[in-house]
Amino acid sequence: MIITAIALALAAVSEPNPLVGRWETKPSPKGNVTGLYMKADSSFEGFFNRKPFVTGTYTYKDSLLSFVDNGCNRTRGLYKVIFFSEGDSIRFEPISDTCTERRNGMGKTIMGRIK
Amino acid sequence: MKTVIISGISLLTFLFMNASNKSEEPVNKEDLGKLLFFDPILSATKTISCASCHKPEFAFADNRAVSIGVNNRKGTRNTPSAMNLRSHEAFFWDGRAATLQEQALAPIENPSEMNLPIDIAVGRLQNNRRYNNYFRLIFNSRPTKALLGEAIASFELTLETTDSPFDNWKYYDDSTKVSEAVRRGFEVFNGNGKCVKCHFGSDLTQNEFRNIGLFNGRQLNDSGRYAITKNRGDIGKFKTPGLRNIAITAPYMHNGMFKTLKEVIDFYDNPARKVPRAINRDTILTKPLGLTRREKEDLEAFLLSLTDKQFLKQTK
Repeated sequence: MIITAIALALAAVSEPNPLVGRWETKPSPKGNVTGLYMKADSSFEGFFNRKPFVTGTYTYKDSLLSFVDNGCNRTRGLYKVIFFSEGDSIRFEPISDTCTERRNGMGKTIMGRIK
Repeated sequence: MKTVIISGISLLTFLFMNASNKSEEPVNKEDLGKLLFFDPILSATKTISCASCHKPEFAFADNRAVSIGVNNRKGTRNTPSAMNLRSHEAFFWDGRAATLQEQALAPIENPSEMNLPIDIAVGRLQNNRRYNNYFRLIFNSRPTKALLGEAIASFELTLETTDSPFDNWKYYDDSTKVSEAVRRGFEVFNGNGKCVKCHFGSDLTQNEFRNIGLFNGRQLNDSGRYAITKNRGDIGKFKTPGLRNIAITAPYMHNGMFKTLKEVIDFYDNPARKVPRAINRDTILTKPLGLTRREKEDLEAFLLSLTDKQFLKQTK
C-alpha cells in the first residue's frame, strides 16, 4: 500500500517528457532534412542533413519549451509545442524569441517522431 | 593462324575499349558533372581542369596559397573547398556568384584560371562526339552553357561529408568518438573563442561576409566584397568559409597567408598583433580573446575533429 502510494507520487512528479527522442522533418523539395535529438538530461542537438548544427539545453513544462543554444547570441527562445497525430508529430508556436532567424525557422517546422 | 591471333587481339581490344567507355558513361547529371570537373577540355590549353585546383586529396581545395592556372598564371585568392556547399548561399570569397551553377562556369572564363570563353567551351563539347552523346543521354539536349553549369554544380553538390569524429560524437550521442581535448575545444569554440558567432551551422558558416582584419590598404590590399557591392561598409569583407575538413585545406584565409591552424588561432587571439592597422575590422575582434595555451590546443583539436574519415589518414 505504502509502496504503491510512493510509486504514484513519483510518477506524478516525474511525468515522462513527451519531447524526449529523435524528431525529423520530411525532406524539403531540395531533399534537406532537419533533425532534433531531445535528450532526457535536458540537452538537445540539432542536425541538418545529419550534420550537427546546433546544441543547447532546454526545459519543457505545460507544453512550453524554453531553451538556449549556441547560436543567436545565447538568447532564450520560448515556444509552445503542439503535438498532433497521436503525439507523433510536433510543431512550434513562438511565444517569445528575439532571434528572428530562429523564430522564422521554427515557426515553419513540422517534425515527426523517429521510432 | 597469325591472322586469327591478330583478329583475336583486335576483338579483345575493341571489347575492352567498349567496356571502358561504357563504364565511363554517365547515368545522371552528377556523373556527367564529375567527368567535366576532371576534364581539361574546358581550359584554353586543355591542360587545366576544375580538379587541378580543387584537388580531391585536399577536400577539393588546393594546398597552395593561390592556385596555378593556364600558362602557369597565378590566381589571386586561395582556392576554397568545393565540398559541403549545399547550405551555402553565395559563392567565391567575395560572393559574386549567387548560385553554384553560376560559380561553376566562372573559372572556365577567368584568364588566370582556365581562360576559355564559355561559348568556345560549349562549342568544344558540342563538337565532341562523346560529350554530345552524354548530354543528349542525360538532358535530351546538346551541350549548352546552362546545362554545363548545371552538370558541374550537380556533381559538386554530391561532395557532402558527414562522417567526422565530431559528427559521430553528436549524431550517435557518443562522447567516446572524440577526445576530451575535442570536447573542451568545442566549449572554447562556442565560448571564449567566439568562433561560433560567425562559424555557426551545419557546415560551420553563417554564409555572411565579415572583415576579420586582413585589409590595411597597403600590402593587404584586396578589398573583397567591396569590389562587388561598392558599399564602403563592405571593404575588406570576405565570405566566412565553412570549417569542415579544415585540417587538410591549408593554407588558410582568402589569400592563403597562414600555413597552419596554429597560426590561424594565434591570429584570431590577437588580430592587431599580426595586422596592426587593419581597416574596418569586425567589432567581434576588437579586443584580444586572451586564450590560454591549453584553450588554443583544445580549439585546434576540435577543428581537427571536423575531418571526414576519408581524409583522416592525411592528418596523422
